[in-house]
Amino acid sequence: MKHNPQYIDIEIDKLTNSIENVITGDSFQTDISLIDTNDLKQITKKNGWLFNWKNEYKQPDRDVYKLTISGNPEIIQGLISITEREDHVYMHLIESAPFNLGRNKVYIGVPGNLVAFACRISFHRGFDGYVSFTSKTQLVEHYQKTLGAINVGGHLMVINTDAALKLIDKYFKN
Amino acid sequence: MGLIREPLDVDFFFDPKPLTKKEQQMISDFIKTDKVKRKLKKTTQKGIYTQHAI
Repeated sequence: MKHNPQYIDIEIDKLTNSIENVITGDSFQTDISLIDTNDLKQITKKNGWLFNWKNEYKQPDRDVYKLTISGNPEIIQGLISITEREDHVYMHLIESAPFNLGRNKVYIGVPGNLVAFACRISFHRGFDGYVSFTSKTQLVEHYQKTLGAINVGGHLMVINTDAALKLIDKYFKN
Repeated sequence: MGLIREPLDVDFFFDPKPLTKKEQQMISDFIKTDKVKRKLKKTTQKGIYTQHAI
């Protein structure tokens, strides 16, 4: 077991109306949980995923979480890889499922949901909601607008306590 | 309760390159400063209440 048992209490969190079908506008409740070896079989490049999640899973310092629709745990809607640093949570990778990418995506709200979850973990671990990540050049402005992230130099982005609280308020019941 | 709706033509990706020590330090420095600013802001907000003589 590579994950520290002390984190088990936050393996699954109930979210509310957190992803929305683009065509019908219907909202769906979601669950977030750690991935396991069974999940690795479906999150491959062959199945359209862009990043090497198997490699991410193997990293001892990282936790990889999946987002699924409640009652439909087999279909992964998106993934996030995070690390606990000295004073915050760092997000290494985030990816929506292949069917949630581009203009024809089935659901919107997947990445926002996962980032809000990372902020929540940051609070749980005593980091006051601080989360950081490295943005792709063309997305810096987008993250500032949608997540309230602050560019702290280069492509480094930080979500601070206030922005984290807003994100969590959007998604979590409690 | 709400939802962060990413535009249909935008997908969230992060740059997976490992952080240098300098970059890690930049983040920690920002967090330290931001925490201080937040504390000061809280203190200042408390200070704006004025007592009125009856």
